Amino acid sequence: MGGIFVVVEHRQGKVREITLEMLAKAGEWKNDLGGDLTAVLLGWETGPLIEALKGRADRILVIEDERLKNFEAEVYKLILQQLIQEVHPSLTLIGQTSWGLDLAPCLAVKTGFPLVTDCVELRIEAGRPTALRQMYGGKIFARVSFKESPGYLATIRPGAFSPDPSEDHQTEVIKKQFPAGLPESKKQFLELIESEAGEVDISQADFLVSVGRGVGEEENLALVRELARSLGAVLSCSRPIVDKKWLPKYHQVGTSGKSVKPKVYLALGISGAFQHLAGISGAGTVIAVNKDPRAPIFRVAQYGVAQDLFKIIPALMEQINRN
Amino acid sequence: MTVLHPAAERYLNIPGSLIAWILLILALSVFSFSLYRRVLLLLSGQPDPRWGDWKERVRGLLVYGILQKRQPRYFWAGLIHLLIFWGFVVLGLRSLDLIGQGLGGGYALPFLRGGFGVFYGSLKDLFELTVLGACIWAILRRAMIRPARYELENGRGHRWEAYLVLSLIGFLMLTDMFYEGGMLLLSPPAPGWLPAAGLAVSVLSSLDETGVSNVSLLAYWAHYLAFFIFLNFLPLAKHFHILTALPNIYFRKLKKGSLKPVRWGVENLEDLESLGVGRLEDFTWKHLLDLFTCTECGRCSDHCPAKAVGRPLSPKMITLKLRDYVYRKVPVFSLFPWRSDSGGSEGRKEKEGSEAALIGEVITFAEIWSCTTCGACEEECPVFIEYLDKLIDMRRHLIETAQNPKTFNPILTQVEKTGNPFGKPPKKRADWIKEIAEVPVRILKEGDEAEVLYFVDSYASYDPRVQAVALAVVRGLSLAEVDFGILGAREKDSGHQVRRLGEEGLFQLLLEENLEVLQSCRFNQIVTTDPHTFNTLKNDYPGDLPVVHYTQFFRDLLASGRLKPKKIIDGPPIYAYHDPCYLGRHNGIYEAPREILDRLPGVKWVEMARCRDRSFCCGGGDVNLWHEIEGETMRPAARRLEMAREAGVGGIVTACPFCLLNLEDAVKTAGLEKEMKVVDLMELLVSTL
Amino acid sequence: MNIIVCVKRVPFTQEVDLEIEAGKREVDRESLAYVVNDWDNYAIEEAVRLKEQGEGTVTAITLGPEEDEEVLRRCLAMGADRARRIDPGERTLDGQGVARVLARGLAGIPFDLILCGVQAEDDNQGMVGIMMAEHLGLAHAVVVTGIEPQEGKLIVQCELEGGLDERSKIKLPALLTIQTGINEPRYVSIMGIKKAAKKPLEVIPLADLNLSPDDLAPQVLIEELFLPPETGGAEMITGDPAQAAEKILQILKEKGVRA
Repeated sequence: MGGIFVVVEHRQGKVREITLEMLAKAGEWKNDLGGDLTAVLLGWETGPLIEALKGRADRILVIEDERLKNFEAEVYKLILQQLIQEVHPSLTLIGQTSWGLDLAPCLAVKTGFPLVTDCVELRIEAGRPTALRQMYGGKIFARVSFKESPGYLATIRPGAFSPDPSEDHQTEVIKKQFPAGLPESKKQFLELIESEAGEVDISQADFLVSVGRGVGEEENLALVRELARSLGAVLSCSRPIVDKKWLPKYHQVGTSGKSVKPKVYLALGISGAFQHLAGISGAGTVIAVNKDPRAPIFRVAQYGVAQDLFKIIPALMEQINRN
Repeated sequence: MTVLHPAAERYLNIPGSLIAWILLILALSVFSFSLYRRVLLLLSGQPDPRWGDWKERVRGLLVYGILQKRQPRYFWAGLIHLLIFWGFVVLGLRSLDLIGQGLGGGYALPFLRGGFGVFYGSLKDLFELTVLGACIWAILRRAMIRPARYELENGRGHRWEAYLVLSLIGFLMLTDMFYEGGMLLLSPPAPGWLPAAGLAVSVLSSLDETGVSNVSLLAYWAHYLAFFIFLNFLPLAKHFHILTALPNIYFRKLKKGSLKPVRWGVENLEDLESLGVGRLEDFTWKHLLDLFTCTECGRCSDHCPAKAVGRPLSPKMITLKLRDYVYRKVPVFSLFPWRSDSGGSEGRKEKEGSEAALIGEVITFAEIWSCTTCGACEEECPVFIEYLDKLIDMRRHLIETAQNPKTFNPILTQVEKTGNPFGKPPKKRADWIKEIAEVPVRILKEGDEAEVLYFVDSYASYDPRVQAVALAVVRGLSLAEVDFGILGAREKDSGHQVRRLGEEGLFQLLLEENLEVLQSCRFNQIVTTDPHTFNTLKNDYPGDLPVVHYTQFFRDLLASGRLKPKKIIDGPPIYAYHDPCYLGRHNGIYEAPREILDRLPGVKWVEMARCRDRSFCCGGGDVNLWHEIEGETMRPAARRLEMAREAGVGGIVTACPFCLLNLEDAVKTAGLEKEMKVVDLMELLVSTL
Repeated sequence: MNIIVCVKRVPFTQEVDLEIEAGKREVDRESLAYVVNDWDNYAIEEAVRLKEQGEGTVTAITLGPEEDEEVLRRCLAMGADRARRIDPGERTLDGQGVARVLARGLAGIPFDLILCGVQAEDDNQGMVGIMMAEHLGLAHAVVVTGIEPQEGKLIVQCELEGGLDERSKIKLPALLTIQTGINEPRYVSIMGIKKAAKKPLEVIPLADLNLSPDDLAPQVLIEELFLPPETGGAEMITGDPAQAAEKILQILKEKGVRA
């Protein structure tokens, strides 16, 4: 049959980046699968969302209802199951996000389709997908195949693909009715909360900007703080910074501080002492900036910049502010 | 006027000796009761086998108890105490004599009547004056100099008790002087030289006979009464040490560096309801005796590195808070509760009726984790109070009840799963030998044999800075053509830190596994990189392992000429040697590293102000690596660095990986990399070969 | 509240360079140490805390061979009251198979709440928990960072992306997947684990669950495992500061921390 469903993830009136990434890439996969690329949008006040999606898919299936004001996996699951039964897409894509973790597995059980999560690549061979994903926290890559099935489910890792579509689509918008007789959800949204500022738990952060002795004087910390803020990252540091009492203890990374496992660890002016490195062994990608090219941190970092951090930080700020 | 002995006089028609007997019986009854209550407290404690090695114990009693060897470590206070102490020893006989006179209606004890009596009369007088002088000096010293170590942490000094007792002792001296002086005036002069009585005579000579007689009588009974009041005061507060110090010294811990088992006499820890100390009854009787014996001298806290850098720990307050707690729980008098009060809020809380938790409130978590186990407190204490076993027993309790700092959790799990605190794979434990491919290092497999087994331990195996020391050791061994091997991946962490952190179960696991591996090979000696490893293999592991630290081993190699340092060192002009706690204080190895330093050509080195058994702990290779204490103003290593700078040196040489790491860290934090070099003795040694 | 916690024993790989077996479908597990899955550790701690607040029992269950009992003993030492192991025998199962087995395997244990970890450290799939919920018809929520019990329901806080959290009301019985950092798991000492040996641990063979071969057949197959390309130290970014900054920002985008 062919055809790809991309479930549109949106929040606070905006389409999330992961959806655009999936649509852009699915445009390529569709060529191997045949059929149409359909964005499935369930929501309330969907006007702006539809606008954002135009040109990125062949079709936008919209169901607008007040009951869809907030995401509920149960409701989505039931509606999607019906839509899948109607349209028979070969492949249904969901983002590997909080949403996706809630929705994809129960949808898989409901439809009986095989599910592979957190894919960073998909290949379609003879109408069947194989996926590429990571295991052991990124240490191992796995190529996995799906058992033969009328439909396949995959969740896609955010950031794996570019959101820019390779081609423009002629988009048809189809509005459907909210299905009747859906049971009331057992879960009910109450509110969204912004994380508190204040004492932060660096061990749970996804992105850390970390500062070491290379920062020199205490006044220079303000530069690093500003950078972290602009990047939406959490500030952390190595032990000497805490020893000098420039930052409170909860920012410290290392054996006598915290172990961190962010997706990205940007280390500025950190030499890479053993006790510090022990704290970042769980980090996904380490980018180190240190003017000493022989600093030990370059042995464990994935990317290195052997330049003065006082040149790099302003350069970063300039480019961030430009965008 | 016939001179009657005060006890021979009649008072309201009651013979003096009867009064003496009544007073005696009354006083001794109360005293016995107090002692009984205190013994009850001791009996509620756990067993503690201190009965063996009597020769060593008697020797200790003589050296530390009678000769008071530790007292002069604080010179003037020590001198004062020595004088008062020996005064007590000598004057004890006099007191018995006076009491005997009272009971017997005036007759001196038989053996005090002959020539010995004359000699003793002079001796006792001399000491009376000495003790009186010492008491006055002590009072003045307390009042004017006010040494900080006497304070209690909350600003209250318990000074009233010190002044009271010093005054009481002085009073006892004076009353005896005036009693005897009065008797001398009234009766024919006694033979011999009696300077004290003579002094009293000169004061009394202005009075008439009746006056002198009254003074003499009064003085006698005042003395008699004061003596028994003093006796009964003893069990209630810090002067109990007068009675308990000698036993406490006799029963002291002989095996330094070791830790007590969780419970003496219990092999299988699973049979125990709880581990460590969580309640009063969990202390051993000896640890309770310790609490009776504290003199509040504060020498322990004065030397505590944790206290010196602002941590909440003060060893003296630990003992005093525990003492007050146990005295509250099992008081001498419950009707008129005597509250020896170190002024803590727990005491107040209990007065309010609620129960203060021993661990957590009386002794706070922060205090328990502040300790670096350096042993300086135990080294100073003149009455041999033990701290480390108590604190670690409390840590054991905290670990079992999951109240430990969470930062330990991954470390302990990693030690359990991978045999090292870093979680690094065991098969990489010997990867460091690849750095010196030119020096062959044998990895001993099951059944292998070597002259020396080099136990590298975790930090030297995995931490790049410490690997340099291991490489130096191996280079040294190879140059001396020693037949050695390492255990490689089969070696697990020795468990020293784990044990002192309170995870006894994990320590036992490591011990069993390491012993099995050690028993699978044959060797004549074990040499260690780390004094901690050395300490635990020697003192915690059973089986009398033939283990030495590398300083001892290499000292011997140098002394026998198997290694000859040739190259002259080109480094900082002068080094300071830093005694690691677990090499020096805990195991008495002070000379071996110094002898090595003396043999290195071109090396000039000096002692720091606090050296040998008064070395200042670098902050430790235990808990402190993985947990930090609130309230610390600087790291202990930073304080030690200051001492090195005061000594005017350009480098610090030490013989312990943790001292090395902590001191280097302190140098980096202070930005003094150019002014102060930190180096391990082995590295220095190898650079001369 | 009676709670079931699903736990998994996984290899401890933080410092390890993993190797792949010759057949290229399995990781070489020979010299690996094993620990409880980090997310599950938080889950069991949360369950024990909830139990300590009120009444009820905590049961820890796992699917695996005898060695996996070590992890159940840890749970018992942390405060679980009983444990159950389902022995898979010779069967290998994929995520959906595990979910089916666990959902069937917890029969007979009364529960109001099931806690699972968000994902497992080895396969990083994140699907078993919610699949179980679907099989059992339970309300569910994921990435839970806070639980507040109320009468017959829970108020849960779930972590979304970008510093946002969501609060929801969820009816019991429910299944939640627990995020790391929800609490600070207590330490379990070696002696504690030994003492926990007295608590009940039952074993149920897979065959007893009466699941069909179809139910258990894997839907997803691992074709090949391979290691990421060797980096041998950092890839050095060259160019002037402006160029280096541009490259850094691009990497941030690629790694998903920058929009």
